[in-house]
Amino acid sequence: MERKTFPGTLDSLADIRQVAKEEAQRVGLSKKAAYNLMLAIDEIATNIIVHGYEEAGRSGSVDVVTEVADGQLILTLEDDATPFDPLQRDLPGEETFTQPLEERPIGGMGIYLTINGIDEFRYEFVNNRNRNIFISRIGEK
Amino acid sequence: MNVTSSTVDTITLIEATGSIDSKTAPDFERTALTAIQGQSEVIIDLTNVDFLSSAGLRVLLMIYRQVKAKNGKVVLVGTSEEIQDIMANTGFLAFFSLAETLDEGLTILKTA
Repeated sequence: MERKTFPGTLDSLADIRQVAKEEAQRVGLSKKAAYNLMLAIDEIATNIIVHGYEEAGRSGSVDVVTEVADGQLILTLEDDATPFDPLQRDLPGEETFTQPLEERPIGGMGIYLTINGIDEFRYEFVNNRNRNIFISRIGEK
Repeated sequence: MNVTSSTVDTITLIEATGSIDSKTAPDFERTALTAIQGQSEVIIDLTNVDFLSSAGLRVLLMIYRQVKAKNGKVVLVGTSEEIQDIMANTGFLAFFSLAETLDEGLTILKTA
């Protein structure tokens, strides 16, 4: 298991994505799976930084923990913000994405892209930290 | 991320380079929305954009709405396969014309 720690600011997004990209390449995820993992990590890291830290007037770090087990690449984002489970918010449904762009609501897209882009997404609150867990199966398209 | 705007004949061309995320999307938004004011023929060149998050999709949505209000058209040039997939999954793709090259994009607008 490897842990990398980044300041909880938007400046860190590129570096956090880079970790996801390198790990995805190292375990041989397809180009598409690697991109979708980077996107998922970026979306959740953005929520942590913007809503968990900046808007709450708090500061803290975002850790990226990497683990390979049982044929899976498991990336975990850990932070010290107020407990927040992304899965508890209302997700946009199918009907949202068939609406004309002029009319559709704009929120919730990031978490939708996260959940739909990777094999499994989980949330835990452990030891006073949020843990957002991204699981990609290795050796699949 | 870097973003520039220019005009080719009557067409507004916006070119972005790099990654469009929550850090860089405000720059993209500011430059693009200023450049397309009152314009109805717009090209967004994404050939050198390697990453586009929902923050970037949000800006594309704002561009679309502003141009659509003028009964105009937005052409995306050089959109990567991965970004096209994301746009397809979120129902964005149908609202934009896609072109592989800038020349092709200009042709689409000139013959529209």
